Amino acid sequence: MMIPKIAWRNIWRSRTRSLVVIGSVVIGIWALIFLLGFFRGQVDNYVSNIIENETSHIQIHDSLFKTDFEVRLFMPEATAMVHKLQADPQIMAVTERLLVNGMLASSAAAQGVMVKGIDLQQEDSVTHISGKIIEGSGFESDKRNQILLSQRTAEKLKVGLRSKVVLTFQNIHGDISTGAFRIAGIYKTVNRTSDELYVFAQIEDMRRLTDVPAEGAHEIAMLVKDFDQTESIAKELKTQFSPWKVETYKEISPDLELFNSQIRINMIIMTVIFMLALIFGIINTMLMAVLERIKELGMLMAVGMNKLKVFFMVVLETIFIALIGAPIGMLLGYLTTIYLHKVGIDLSNWSKALEEFGMSDVVRPSLTAETFFTIVVAVVITAILASIYPALKAIRLKPVEALRKI
Amino acid sequence: MTTNKIVVDIHDVYKTYHETKVPVEALRGVTIQIRQGEFTAIVGPSGSGKTTLLNIIGGLDRPTKGKIIVDGTDLSNLSENQLIDFRKTHIGFVFQSYNLIPVLTAKENVEFVMLLQNIDQEKRDKRTHELMEAVGLGDRMSNKPAELSGGQQQRVAVARALAPKPAFVLADEPTANLDSASTSNLLDIMARLNAEEGITFVFSTHDQRVIDRARRVITIEDGKVLSDILK
Repeated sequence: MMIPKIAWRNIWRSRTRSLVVIGSVVIGIWALIFLLGFFRGQVDNYVSNIIENETSHIQIHDSLFKTDFEVRLFMPEATAMVHKLQADPQIMAVTERLLVNGMLASSAAAQGVMVKGIDLQQEDSVTHISGKIIEGSGFESDKRNQILLSQRTAEKLKVGLRSKVVLTFQNIHGDISTGAFRIAGIYKTVNRTSDELYVFAQIEDMRRLTDVPAEGAHEIAMLVKDFDQTESIAKELKTQFSPWKVETYKEISPDLELFNSQIRINMIIMTVIFMLALIFGIINTMLMAVLERIKELGMLMAVGMNKLKVFFMVVLETIFIALIGAPIGMLLGYLTTIYLHKVGIDLSNWSKALEEFGMSDVVRPSLTAETFFTIVVAVVITAILASIYPALKAIRLKPVEALRKI
Repeated sequence: MTTNKIVVDIHDVYKTYHETKVPVEALRGVTIQIRQGEFTAIVGPSGSGKTTLLNIIGGLDRPTKGKIIVDGTDLSNLSENQLIDFRKTHIGFVFQSYNLIPVLTAKENVEFVMLLQNIDQEKRDKRTHELMEAVGLGDRMSNKPAELSGGQQQRVAVARALAPKPAFVLADEPTANLDSASTSNLLDIMARLNAEEGITFVFSTHDQRVIDRARRVITIEDGKVLSDILK
C-alpha cells in the first residue's frame, strides 16, 4: 500500500528533525526504564532487608504475645514445633527465639532493649547474624551469659568487646530478674532502628533467667524454599499449629505493602509524566511537519486522497517515529538495568540516611515483565495520542485554501 | 475534435467571500459551457475571479449561488467526501508549482491517483508507462521530483492528471514557473494529447504563449465573462 510508504518516506524528509524526536523517545524511555528499575530495586532492597533482619517469611507466636510482649505468653512446645518444621520439605530454615523486653545497663548508661534469646546456629540459618558481627567471634559454646549487641548500642553504653553489662527484665512470674552478661560480639546491620532495639543472648540462659521451661519459646521464625509459596505454606501451617498465630511477613510488617504500593504509584506517576513530555515533544514536531506541508496536503486532497487516508498517513508518520525510538530505548534500558543489577549502584555516600530506612547502600535495579509490558502499552498509547492532533489539523485543511499558500 | 458532449456546465454562478469585513464578490453571474475536446484558456488580470472560477469548476470550492454540472453530475449535491471522490475520478489537476509528492518517484506520482482508485498493478504499470512516454519522460521513471527540472516536473504532473482518465484536465497557470523552451515543450505535449486523444484541457493563464495556442479564450474581468472567443 502506498500510504505507509509515503508516511515512512515523509519521516526521512527532515532527517535531522526526525532523528531528534526519535532520540528523545529513546532517551525518554531509557531513562524511564532505568528509574523504574531503580525504584523496583529499592523496594526489593527494603523488603529483603526487612525479611532478612526482622520478619523472615513466616513467624509463629502466641496470638496475644505481640500486643505487649508478656514473657508468660510463650509456646511451651516450641522446640518440638521447630523439629517438625525442619522436617517439612517446603521450609528452608527455622529458628526459635525467646523474646524479653528489658533494660540494658553499663556503668555509663542504660537503654531499653529487646533481648532475643537464640540458638546461634539456628539463628544463622535464618538471619545470618554471625555474618553481621564486626567485632568478636560470637558465643563461645561453653560459657554462660554472653551477649551480642549492636555497634550503636555499644557506643551509647560506652562499652566494648568483653565489657560487662547488666540486663534487667521480668520473669514469667512477674518478678524482676537480673543477669550480668559479657559482650561476646558487636554486630551491625543496615537497619539503624532495629540495631538500637535488639540484643542477642543464648536461649538457654534466657530460659533459665525467665523461668521459661526447656522447649519453650515466644517466636518461631522461618524461611521457605519458594518465596512465591509463602502465603499457601502459611495457610497450611495455620491448621497444623492451631491455635498458635501464624503470620507471613506481609502480616507482620504491613508497612511493606504500603511501601510497595506507594512506590508503585510513584512509578505510575513517573511514567505518566514521561509520556506526557514525550507526547508534547512529538506533537510539536509533527505539527511542524504538517504545517510546512500544507500545500502538499491540499494537493493530495485536491487530486482525490480522502480525509481518512490523509489522517491515517499523518498518524502513521507519528507512530513510525515512536516505534523506531521505543525498541531502541527499551533495549538500552533493559541492558542498563541488567548491567546495574549485576554490579549494583553504590550509594555508600548516603548509607547513613539509607540505614534510617533500613536499606543497604547498594541498590540493584530490577525490572519485572509487568513493568516492561506497561511501558510498551504506555508508548503505544502515547504515540497514538500524540498523532491525533497533528492528523486532525491536517484534515481540517480545505484544499482550496491550502493550495493558495505558498 | 471537439464533440457536442458538455463536460462542464456552469450556469449563472456567483461567489462571494466573507473573509474580510467587506464581502468580496469574486464571481457575479458566470455562465460557461465547455465541451469535450476543447483546448480552452481562461484569462484575466489578477483579482478578476479566474482562480475562483477554476476552483469551482474543479470542485475545490462551492459557488454561493448558481449551478455547476461536471460530466453530468451536479456538484452542489455532493458532500465533501463525495467531492473528493468525484475529483479523483473525473478531474485531472495541474498546478502552477507542479505539486508532485516529493517523496515518491515520477512513476509513483503518476501511479498515485490510480492507487487511490484501487486499479490493479498490471493496468497501473501499463498506463504509467504510456503516460510517461507520452510526456517524453519514459527514461525518468525512477527519478524523484527534486531530480527533475521544472519543465520535467510539470510534464510528470500532466501525466499524473491524465492517469485516472478524467473528463477534463484543469491547469492553473501551468507555465507560470517555466522557461520558454519548457513552456513550448509542455504546450506541444498537451496540444498533441488534445488533438490525438481528444483530452479536454482548461487553463487559467496570463501567459501569451498559452493564449496563442488555445483554441478558445474566455476572458474574465470583475467576476464576469468579458469575452468568449472561439478561434
